Amino acid sequence: MMGFLSLLARNRLALAGLVVMVLVVLLALVTPLLPLADPDVTNTGDRFLPPFSEGALLGTDHLGRDLLSRLMWGTRLSLAVGFAAAVIAAVLGAAVGIVAGYYGGRTDNLIMRGVDMLMAFPYILLALAIVAALGPGLLNALIAVAAVNIPFFARNIRGITVGIAHKEFVDAAKLAGMGNGRIILTEILPNVIPVIVIAMSTTVGWMILETAGLSFLGLGSQPPQADLGSMLGEARSALITNPHTSVVPGVMILVIVMAINLLGDGVRDALDPRLRSGALTRPMASTTVRREGPVPEAQGDAVLDLRDLQTQFHVKDRVYRAVGGVSLGVKPGECLGIIGESGSGKSVTALSVMGLVASPPGVITGGAVHYKGQDLVGAPYETLRDLRGREVSYIFQDPLATLHPLYKVGDQLVEAIRVHHRVPDKEARQKALGLLKDVRIPNAESRMDSYPHEMSGGMRQRVGIAMSLANDPEVIIADEPTTALDVTVQAQILSLLDTLRREKRLAIVFITHDFGVVAQLCDRVAVMYAGRIVEEGPTQAVLDAPAHPYTARLIACVPELGEGKRQLHAIPGLPPAVNDLPPGCAFAPRCDKAEPACKRGEIALEGTARRRVRCIHPETELEAAQ
Amino acid sequence: MTTALRLENLSKTFAVGKRLFGAPKGHVHAVHPVSLEVAEGETMGIVGESGCGKSTLARMLVGLLEPTDGTIEIAGKPLDNADPAVFGKRIQYVFQDPISSLNPRKTIRQIVEAPLKLLHGMDKAQRDDRIREIFAQVNLREEFLDRYPHEFSGGQAQRIGIARALAAEARILILDEPVSALDVSVQAQVLNLLADLKKRLGLTYLFISHDLAVVEAVSDRVAVLYFGSVVEVGRAEDVFARPRHPYTRLLAESAPVVGRALTAPEGRETELPDPLNPPKGCAFRARCPNAGARCAEEEPMLEGDGHLAACFHPVR
Amino acid sequence: MGSYILKRLVSAIPVLLGITVIVFAIMALIPGDPATAILGSYATPENVEKINRDLGLDKPAVQRYFIWLGNMLQGDFGRSFSLNRPVLDEVLERFGATLALAGTSFVLCAVFGVAAGVVSAARQYGFADKAITFAVLLGISIPSFFLGMMMILIFAVQLRWFPVSGMWPVYGSRDLMTLVQHLTLPAIALAVVATGVVARLSRSAMLEVLRQDFIRTARAKGVPERGVIWRHALRAAMVSIIPVLGIQAGFVLSGAVYIEIVFQWPGVGRMLVDAILTRDILLVQGGVVFVAACYVLFNIVVDVAQSLLDPRIKT
Repeated sequence: MMGFLSLLARNRLALAGLVVMVLVVLLALVTPLLPLADPDVTNTGDRFLPPFSEGALLGTDHLGRDLLSRLMWGTRLSLAVGFAAAVIAAVLGAAVGIVAGYYGGRTDNLIMRGVDMLMAFPYILLALAIVAALGPGLLNALIAVAAVNIPFFARNIRGITVGIAHKEFVDAAKLAGMGNGRIILTEILPNVIPVIVIAMSTTVGWMILETAGLSFLGLGSQPPQADLGSMLGEARSALITNPHTSVVPGVMILVIVMAINLLGDGVRDALDPRLRSGALTRPMASTTVRREGPVPEAQGDAVLDLRDLQTQFHVKDRVYRAVGGVSLGVKPGECLGIIGESGSGKSVTALSVMGLVASPPGVITGGAVHYKGQDLVGAPYETLRDLRGREVSYIFQDPLATLHPLYKVGDQLVEAIRVHHRVPDKEARQKALGLLKDVRIPNAESRMDSYPHEMSGGMRQRVGIAMSLANDPEVIIADEPTTALDVTVQAQILSLLDTLRREKRLAIVFITHDFGVVAQLCDRVAVMYAGRIVEEGPTQAVLDAPAHPYTARLIACVPELGEGKRQLHAIPGLPPAVNDLPPGCAFAPRCDKAEPACKRGEIALEGTARRRVRCIHPETELEAAQ
Repeated sequence: MTTALRLENLSKTFAVGKRLFGAPKGHVHAVHPVSLEVAEGETMGIVGESGCGKSTLARMLVGLLEPTDGTIEIAGKPLDNADPAVFGKRIQYVFQDPISSLNPRKTIRQIVEAPLKLLHGMDKAQRDDRIREIFAQVNLREEFLDRYPHEFSGGQAQRIGIARALAAEARILILDEPVSALDVSVQAQVLNLLADLKKRLGLTYLFISHDLAVVEAVSDRVAVLYFGSVVEVGRAEDVFARPRHPYTRLLAESAPVVGRALTAPEGRETELPDPLNPPKGCAFRARCPNAGARCAEEEPMLEGDGHLAACFHPVR
Repeated sequence: MGSYILKRLVSAIPVLLGITVIVFAIMALIPGDPATAILGSYATPENVEKINRDLGLDKPAVQRYFIWLGNMLQGDFGRSFSLNRPVLDEVLERFGATLALAGTSFVLCAVFGVAAGVVSAARQYGFADKAITFAVLLGISIPSFFLGMMMILIFAVQLRWFPVSGMWPVYGSRDLMTLVQHLTLPAIALAVVATGVVARLSRSAMLEVLRQDFIRTARAKGVPERGVIWRHALRAAMVSIIPVLGIQAGFVLSGAVYIEIVFQWPGVGRMLVDAILTRDILLVQGGVVFVAACYVLFNIVVDVAQSLLDPRIKT
């Protein structure tokens, strides 16, 4: 609760809304105690007094009633009715929505048909019909406004409930012995309430507008009683001669509704976990670069050469060092594997190359990426864009999410070609067809017109590979391209990649968490842990005689087929959080060989050009391993 | 040896394109009639690729899905989940996604307490004692009890899930891909914990996974599922070392292994059969190198002694 | 596609029937009897009985419903006692005026709302975003009837750029130019709220889509940023924007009631309010059913547009 309030307070606009609302509500509460003129006493002698007149601060209306007093009493009424309508609609709508969403099946179907039926009316028709039936009056207007909003709440809450009811914790609750009523109350409701509150806080303003609207039409509050809407309605006939009688209640509605909307947005931002974590910020066209320190020179004959690359995520006041100084290079025709567990920084390293790390929150803070002698870190956007997909291309993990769902795969391939080459559409289509055949897609001609959702996972990933090949790139960066696939499909895709890279002499950077995949595909491998490379060398050498204790233990804890039932060699503990790295070796807290020296100061990645390790006490001496 | 779990001709059919009234547009046979027995104290591994029906099977066993046909017997008695407070004590489930299996708005204590309170009717003091005991068993610190699920890593959350399942004191655990969401270093920790618990508490496991190596490392016996049917079942070492069904062999050969050259075990580009329009005969025949005329006509039955395979032309 | 449209049309039949049932049921709740309302001070027992017989009110409710429904299907919506003319004639005449007003507003809100939302999302936290966000906040907080009154005051009375009210000049020709002149203020006043809502939703839909993996793919291909926003992101965002446009059409139609009153626009909304105040039930029933039916048909158009956009919807 305190966290919620402090979040709300951090949002200055919401705070302003809150202050205004508190003032308005307080004034409305104390109105009966204030020394105001009676709002309903007419005095036709003093009609249409202008504002700031003697004894009538805001002037008087067409019957000579004190506008200030009527405004205060009207505000009181409008607020009460608006809030009441919102609460009624939210409670009833949420109840209907939760029941429909939780029980599903026929119950859901029948309820939602009914809701759809009500939503088939432009809402005011329903409200008018209800008022017509019940007769004009403020209470009836309240009922009408609440009733027409129930379907909106019901539909919204049902959607959320369906999502929650299919979560595994609901199944777990059933197995823990809970009945349906208890599950709804203790498992579903606590997860739905924030949504109800958000929906309510963003619709209270709307409800106030709506009840004011019905009163404005003369269907709500009846004279002499007045809410803000009916004040405006009565003033309309004198709009041109005495505009102040209209402006006063109109501005009041505007102020109240605006304050509520500001507050509602604040409540939503504070309660919505996705907004809280800043997930709804849009990633920019390329990663922000804030490089301090010198630009390292390129070394060796690599086509793509990363030097001391550092990428961080800045979330509020925390800094996550996802990539903490990575140097590696890949030569033409070579396949370099980067292996590591989740959070080791392997994907972020790969995405940093072409500035594809989502930014905000990602920032490249140091190092260089040399591509054919040009430093890409800090290069102008247009330079990066020109190289993306033409010289350096990517294959991503989940092909269903990474292909555009609404364009045919043929069109997506054609686009990949035409953003870099001004060729006629027909020529590009011919080339795209060739690409699909290159990646061995059966019936390539008809597959050109397929949408991604119409293909199997393996076929989609072939399209992803075809797209990466579209402009004959020099380097392909493959970010776990087979992780989402079944093992039989994975085998097909891996062998396809292997054939293609030999045919086309591609340099491949292959990111994975699977030693088996690395062993079969990669010439060299770099092992990453907590944002840094801990070991690097020819694949065979690293796998046969791992030098870093982490590599050795990671290999040991992977079960391998053919070894039978057995105890596994687990690594105790967890990888460190990259916003709170220990000094010295990041693996030291989990390492059984760790000594005090391991937990002090920087440990360098040392060895020969071929084989390097970041450890004071390696498992094998590197000279011996060669 | 007593039987902990017995499934007989268990099948599940989902209707597709449901309408408010009238017949649905089509049916998907997620699980074809399956018969299996799991002995008490045994770990039975179920292995198969996505869409093979392994999760549907698991959810039927714990009453989360109603079988279309067939029977389930748990420790000799037919499955009866009419009273959730009784049923939960007989069989429990550990979920694939450890985070989403914990209610984000409850503390760990509330989560682990629920089965103690509802299934065993323990009072506050008894519950605290029991939770302490269980947390010691799964190597979790007690200070975690008053935290919320989002504060935990996948491995820790999975231990909490296991603790909840243990709290019910069921003798049979269905483990549905319990480690596939975890990193390898943590995966080994959880697998070892499961093995350790089984030994100490004498539990029976049904261990479901797509990872052959993991299944082999934990299982006594293994059943291989393809397209909703068991195609091979037998002792773990036999099934993986000497597969009889061509599909099992394909699976074993597809897994990337250090020290084996990269080859696509299937020469052709193949796809799974369409579940809405299943092929006649053996579902695997389109991908099978041994397929003959009979495979297109008849559906093969599970045959063999101890090591069974559903194939007319088994691998020698 | 043709069969999909047909299917949607068929599935609209129960919805339309449901609408008539709901309207009839609500109207049947009315306390007191309409005869008294019609006759006013002439309500002698004999007269009341005669009127009830004439209107068929002496029959049971279910029977009355089917008679009413049957008549409507033949194009007979009954006769308005207060206007003394057939309901359908009156509704059709009024609905044309409402359609001109609401249709213009809908086009305005769809075009400007989506454009503002896209620009706002593309320049998140930039000046344009902040300006649009503030304008949107103002737009969704101001009552449309108050906005209309202020616009009359400023643009019609003070500046004399536009006529004060009505659809046509009292004297003079009824050409397109004069219609546009009369239409401008009410159409804008009506569009403001809906534009705000559409802009808000488009912005969040765009932000949602811009975080998706396929946007990163487009960038990795080297697609220029303008193409990423307008071709890749907007297309995907339209999937969630179009249903909102469908709902907003209902809101524009609803808001038209206020605007018609403020601007003396001879539309169906003003007719309904007058009919309620005079308790002209047949006119209320007929008007509500007619407009609701049009809205149902419009939503079918929205669904068809959605299915054209999104191949994942089974047609």
